[in-house]
Amino acid sequence: MSSIGTGYDLSASQFSPDGRVFQVEYAMKAVENSGTVIGLKGTDGIVLAAEKLILSKLHEPNTNRRIYNVDRNIGMAFSGLIADARQIVEIARKEAANYRAQYGVSIPLKYLNDRVSMYMHAYTLYSAVRPYGCSVILASYEDKEPNMYLIDPSGVSYGYYGCATGKAKQSAKTEIEKLKLGQMTCRELAKEAAKIIYTVHDELKDKNFELELSWVCQESDGYHVRVPDSVYADAEKAAKQAMEADSESDTEDM
Amino acid sequence: MPPVLNAFGPAFADDWRDAPHSTGTSIMACEFNGGVVIGADSRTTTGAYIANRASDKLTKVTDHVYCCRSGSAADTQAISDIVSYHLNFHGMELGVEPSVEVAASVFQELCYNYRDSLMAGILVAGWDKRKGGQIYSIPIGGMCVRQPVSIGGSGSSYVYGYVDANFKPKMSKDECIKFVTNCLALAMSRDGSSGGVVRLGIITEEGVERRVILGNELPKFYEEGSV
Amino acid sequence: MASILCPDVPSPGFGFENCRRNALLENKGLAFPKAQKTGTTIVGITFKDGVILGADTRATEDTTVADKNSEKIHYLAPNMYCCGAGTAADTEMTTQMISSQLELHKLNTNRIARVCTANMMLKQYLFRYQGYIGAALILGGVDTEGSHLYMIYPHGSSDKLPYVTMGSGSLAAIAVFESRWRKDMDEEEGKQLVRDAIAAGIFNDLGSGSNVDLCIIKKGEVDYRRTYEEANKKGIKQGNYKYPKGATNILSTKVVEVEDVMVTRIEPERMDTA
Repeated sequence: MSSIGTGYDLSASQFSPDGRVFQVEYAMKAVENSGTVIGLKGTDGIVLAAEKLILSKLHEPNTNRRIYNVDRNIGMAFSGLIADARQIVEIARKEAANYRAQYGVSIPLKYLNDRVSMYMHAYTLYSAVRPYGCSVILASYEDKEPNMYLIDPSGVSYGYYGCATGKAKQSAKTEIEKLKLGQMTCRELAKEAAKIIYTVHDELKDKNFELELSWVCQESDGYHVRVPDSVYADAEKAAKQAMEADSESDTEDM
Repeated sequence: MPPVLNAFGPAFADDWRDAPHSTGTSIMACEFNGGVVIGADSRTTTGAYIANRASDKLTKVTDHVYCCRSGSAADTQAISDIVSYHLNFHGMELGVEPSVEVAASVFQELCYNYRDSLMAGILVAGWDKRKGGQIYSIPIGGMCVRQPVSIGGSGSSYVYGYVDANFKPKMSKDECIKFVTNCLALAMSRDGSSGGVVRLGIITEEGVERRVILGNELPKFYEEGSV
Repeated sequence: MASILCPDVPSPGFGFENCRRNALLENKGLAFPKAQKTGTTIVGITFKDGVILGADTRATEDTTVADKNSEKIHYLAPNMYCCGAGTAADTEMTTQMISSQLELHKLNTNRIARVCTANMMLKQYLFRYQGYIGAALILGGVDTEGSHLYMIYPHGSSDKLPYVTMGSGSLAAIAVFESRWRKDMDEEEGKQLVRDAIAAGIFNDLGSGSNVDLCIIKKGEVDYRRTYEEANKKGIKQGNYKYPKGATNILSTKVVEVEDVMVTRIEPERMDTA
């Protein structure tokens, strides 16, 4: 960032001479400091997985979750500043509830994505506010059709077959690209998601982490829920096995 | 006296103005396999005077959703104008046509919130990809309920029995058209405040097909002295 | 808090807070003041090249004829006119209000306003006031989509028809239309039919009377015939009832001298402006 310190990075309401908005780019940096979150679209639904870094041994498991429900059939996973992201969750929940009250059916994900990304984008336009320091993944399974979007702090959003955000998004994306997403079921994807989170976790920098897994699919009757304990255990086991196999092959190489 | 389409004024209506709404309509909607048939008579009255003998009570809301209006003409026209504006806007936002369920929900919201000042009995009918042909009945008061067949307006009281006796689920299109035409013809012949022609709309995946059955082409049933 | 410096601004528009009280008073026998109503015959038809509107010219106040030549065909836009029945003030003000909005709409869009636009504006305006604006209207005009004729009720409903009548004389007038209106009539036939319909109102309805006004609207051309016909021409007196000069005999004459009256003028004192 050649223009750091030239004063163009103080406000989100000003461009730099080379046409960038630094505050937005800094917000993306904030996202890159947090645990990795991925979303995978299968034939029968979507799996969300998050690497929740544990900063203290005193933390209780299953608290401070990174995956939330926005509506019965819509999940939201996020990476970045937790407090910022919680506010986005609240906004999304309000949008979903309002829509249901007005139209009597659950909000189409495309519409929710439009509303939430518009909201996040609004925070990149004024000097009095800062952009949201988080990226969110929205996932739903409506009318037997899985849908997933990822929204950046800039307010830009795309629909994805597989997406990743956070610390190790690059290596996670490389892993995701190896999968045959169009042919896999959510049960298979849950294992793959766990494997990816375990693989991309950096043991040297971050010691402990907790894997979060949720899905919204045929098997969950179209509801977005945490995966059942048995599925979670299988996935975690598969991931750990893969890690061990990996490290064994590594030692062999040496 | 404002023009009205229907006789279902609440008996308790504390009408402190000079507007006794007391005349009527016959409207109907019926599911068949592949869509719905909607129908209505064509009489609009102001007191005892027929203000319009060729009115169209089947009003377009979106390409695949129509409503049958009964009650105060002014109220139902205003409601359907507002709803169709709202749904067309929403359709643009979504990129797809709103479903019949959503359309009914928007109708219900207006009818319920303004239940003290509106006199409107509406049948919302249409076709969408998700649930096919659907009918939602929204009577005075703002309730909303899905029905496979529904009748409304003052003329409907005369044909409840006929509908119950003759309705069959999953009729063919032609069967359904015949059924709706018969019901409306019977209702119009017994209800003094319904009459004129029968207007029909057949809503399927392809869109809407409109038909008119003129007064002299209506099916005939037993009439005293005619045999 | 209201004060001289900061007075309470009365909210604009109609107030309805007295409706219930007034109804109560009326029930107890207090007579309401009656507004001037145009117990009226107004009609409109479509013909080959456009629409023809017609109206009588009687305005009544209860049973009194308040105006023998009132104008009931109102200007809306260069291609649109509107007949009004009901409360005279309401029809006048409503059409003026919508006319002004249509003019602004025309200037904003650089297009001739459409008749369906005027219909929407009128019905939404009337619906907002829930029938308290007593204007029953016949709207006719020609635009890019052809010629259109609407009737709009005070409560805000509207119907689009090829021939319409409204007002207290509407029954007499519709009878004429129902028996004689045909599709694609020519202008002369149309004018005659509308005249006859209004005349039926004038002669058979107590609320209608005086003259026939017509307005013929065609594409790019309007022919407003104020007093197209005086349906009730005053008859010519058959005889002369004036007394000839000298018909009265002078029996005696007496002259009385009027005394001189003295007039004093008092000059006003000028104000000192030095």
